[in-house]
Parts: sequence; structure tokens; C-alpha cells
Amino acid sequence: MDDMPIDQDQPPEEAAAKPASVTPSSATSRRTLMLGAVGASAVVAIRPALAQTTGSVQNCQIPVPEPGNSGKYIASDGSLAPPSLLGPITGLGPFPPPARPFTGEEVYRAMFQGSNLPGATANSTKAYLAYIKKLKMGQSGYTCFLSVQNPRN
Amino acid sequence: MRHRISLRVGPVGFRIGSDWRAPIAALDALYRDYPRPDFADYTVRLEATSFWRRWLRPSVQTLGDYHLPDSAPLPLAQGLLAAEMGMNLQVALGHRRHLLLHAAVVARDDRAVLLSGVSGAGKSTLALMLSRRGWRFLGDEFALIDPVSGLAYPFPRPISLKNESLGVIPPDSLTGPHLTGTPKGEVRHVAPDSAAIAAMDVPARPVLVIFPRFGQPLALHGMAPTETFVRLTQASTNYVALGEAGFRALTRLRSDVPAVALDYPDGESGVAAVESIWSQL
Amino acid sequence: MPGPRYRAADAALLIVEPLDIFTAVFHRPSGTTHLLNEPAPQILEMLADAPLDAAALLDRLSRQYQLDEAEGADMLYARLDELEAAGLVDRL
Repeated sequence: MDDMPIDQDQPPEEAAAKPASVTPSSATSRRTLMLGAVGASAVVAIRPALAQTTGSVQNCQIPVPEPGNSGKYIASDGSLAPPSLLGPITGLGPFPPPARPFTGEEVYRAMFQGSNLPGATANSTKAYLAYIKKLKMGQSGYTCFLSVQNPRN
Repeated sequence: MRHRISLRVGPVGFRIGSDWRAPIAALDALYRDYPRPDFADYTVRLEATSFWRRWLRPSVQTLGDYHLPDSAPLPLAQGLLAAEMGMNLQVALGHRRHLLLHAAVVARDDRAVLLSGVSGAGKSTLALMLSRRGWRFLGDEFALIDPVSGLAYPFPRPISLKNESLGVIPPDSLTGPHLTGTPKGEVRHVAPDSAAIAAMDVPARPVLVIFPRFGQPLALHGMAPTETFVRLTQASTNYVALGEAGFRALTRLRSDVPAVALDYPDGESGVAAVESIWSQL
Repeated sequence: MPGPRYRAADAALLIVEPLDIFTAVFHRPSGTTHLLNEPAPQILEMLADAPLDAAALLDRLSRQYQLDEAEGADMLYARLDELEAAGLVDRL
């Protein structure tokens, strides 16, 4: 592309392949647009914390583990571990990460009402909760976790 | 409560009440140069976990408008730490007047650098070291961003240093007690210098955001706008609660202020890197 | 017979902040911040002018952008569903 003439705003090969569907006044060539985001939604809501103005307050999310560590497994003490077959075989961990973030409601029920987290056994619930309790301010899900423990106002 | 103290830090007033005198005395000493307001935005109460535990192996539970029912009580010797953690929690969950970012803030000539990261990223240590090299200290826990002006308002609480970082405490500092066996290991609080306390009502304009990472080979990375935006939302405890004002304040900060990720191996290199980046702004 | 028409939510209800390949959109009625990846910002922009049904939208998109021939209406419906669920697009 080094030899591209200055008055032409398309790379030479594209100009040859396309008929005049690009109007001469357009500033950029017609670029590609993917309609399908591979495996993921094109619209993602950010839920870093509690939406305190709404009546139902437990919609915030806590990803396990946080996005920077996705793919890592969760040991029974809540620390991160490399993926291992041992967990699924013995049932004692390290556990594969859950398929989706937990909501504040789900974590509240698991912590204070003894239910298992969705899709989790009693043992993996303990591990996930241990991970959540180790979250620090600045990590994804921390404020949601704080809000779970302070459900009033 | 039998013992109490009121403290003002920047725009926030606290009232701390306690079943015992010792934590209040420790706060009184550490906050020696801070204003004592008549008002309080938030209350923290240090209460004995049971009637007997007021005297026998005294045990402190930290209460207030917000508290963590799941957290373990602390021994009375760590009462100062309990009060500091209580103050952090009230602000983290209750504050609405400013956009909060979990970040340290230092400034030169009223232009501020925000050091944003989780505990352990080294922001408190960097902030203390920079404050000893001519930078004004505006806080090491929360950056308070005014939603209208975008200015960073000081919130200069005593700096909490832990474990290996204890070595950087300058000998002439006003410090709290050396606490061992805490949930965070060894902890000591260091009061900011008198210039920082005297200027606690003077805001500064953010001109740089750094995401530091301690214990890595020295490296500087630019950050794409989306990554910066998302990391800032994660660093804020009240972004969603502020609604539209939060969105506008955060997007404005993101678009007005350059952001970089800094990996650094030790305090001195980190400080040198910050000075170097600053000189190129 | 054409399907339903879609249009972007009223401009007054949204605050749109382009970032890079993502665009942040604040939805004022719900107080939710969404991150939009392509083609969502492009669809939203196109539906802001006038309501379009899916076929017309696909046609407009294909004139302005180079679309993959293998992708078609199904993908577009998936994207429209997401935008509608977030309240960023209304179905008429």
C-alpha cells in the first residue's frame, strides 16, 4: 500500500474488486461488518454494582472468577488454580468455573440460607463462596458482594 | 456510646463511637492535625461482640449504617484497624456526592495522577513514596471525582501499609501502632504530612490515570478506551448508584484523561516511571 | 408481507459514547450501561432515522457495509432481539 496515490482513498485491490457502490464523496471505503458476534452477544450490560434505586436489589452480578482470570479453576479455599481433572473426579476441587456469573440474590441465598449456588454441589458452592469472600475493592463483583451483605438501603 | 470522636477528611465527616477508650485514643493521636467537625456524614461503632467480651479477650465488631455481618470480629488491639475498615465501608457503600474510584491520588501544581488498582497493586506505597518527593497526597483509598467539574477532591486518610511495604515508612512519620496478626497481615497506618492535611479542601484536575501492577518487569502499556472504561467501572463502588451522573463523569474522565498500565518491579522503579511519564505529558 | 418495523429508542432516553470497537450506551430509564460491539452500534444508528423492518435494515446495511454473504436475516434478528431486550430498540 506504500504506492497508493494520494487522491485515492481505497486500497488498489479493493477498488478493482468492487464496482462503484462506494460514492466518491464517502470518506472511507465500504468496510466489512460482521452481523454475528462469534459466540457472544453484541450487547452486554455492565453490572459492576448494585442498582440501589430499583425495588429488586439483587440483580447485580459476581463473575467467578473475574474476567481477567477466566478459565482458571477454583480451589476449595477459594484461591485460583490451574485446570485439573482431579476436581471433577474427586468432587473436592479444584472446581471448574461456573458457566455464568452469579447474581447477588443467588449468592445471598447460598451464604445466608444455605442453598447451593445454581449448577453447583455443596462442595463447589463452598469453593465459589470462598473465592467471592476474598474479592477486593477494584475487582469485578466486589461491590455487588458488599451490597449482598447490606441488603437494606 | 461511652467513647467517641468526630473527624473530618476532605468533604466527609465521620463519628466513631466505641465501647473502649483505646481505639478512640489511637484515632485521636493519628488524626492529631485533622479538623474535628460538628457534623458527621457517617457513623462507625466499635462494639463488644457480647457482654463478657467487653472485658475478657475483648473482641470488636464494627457496625454502622453499613456493616459486614459475615466478617470476623477483631481483637481490641486492632481497634484502630477496625475503625479504619469501618470508615472505608461507610464511604464505599454510602457516598453519593462524588464518583468514587478505588485509587490513590497524588498531585503536582493541582494536576492529579490517579493510581487505580486492587489492594496489593502497590498504589498506597507509591503514593507515600511520591508524597515524600514533592507530590501532594490526596488519598490512597478513594479518589473522589466531582460529577459536575470532573475535579478530584482530596480524601487524605492515613495510609495503610502492609507487610513488605512497612519498610518504606519514613522515620519522622506520625504513625499508628504496629499491628500484627491482622486479616491483612502486619499493618501500620501513617498520617499524611501536614501540607496534605492543610490542603484537604483543595481539589486537583486529573491529568493521568495509571493502573499499576507491582512485582513485574518494568513495562508500560497504553490502554484502549474500552478497557479503560471497563476497568474504571470496576474500580468504582458507586458508579451504578450515581446513574446518569456516574456515566457522564466516568466517560468524561475516560475521554479527557490518558490512561496507561504500568508494570513495575519495586517501589523505586515505580516512582521513577511515574515521574518519567509525568514529564512527558 | 413485511415483518415488524424496528426503531431506535428515543434519542432523549439514551446517552451514546463511542469508545473504540465498542460503544457505551447509557439507557436512562433503567440506569443500565451497555457495551455494544459491532454490528449493534451501526444498527442503532441506522434505526435512529426512521423505522425499518428487518429486510429493509439488512438492505441498508449491505449498501453501507460489506456484509458476509453467509450471514443473513437470522443473525440480524438475533442482534435486534438483544437490542430490544436492552430497551435500546423498540418494535413497532
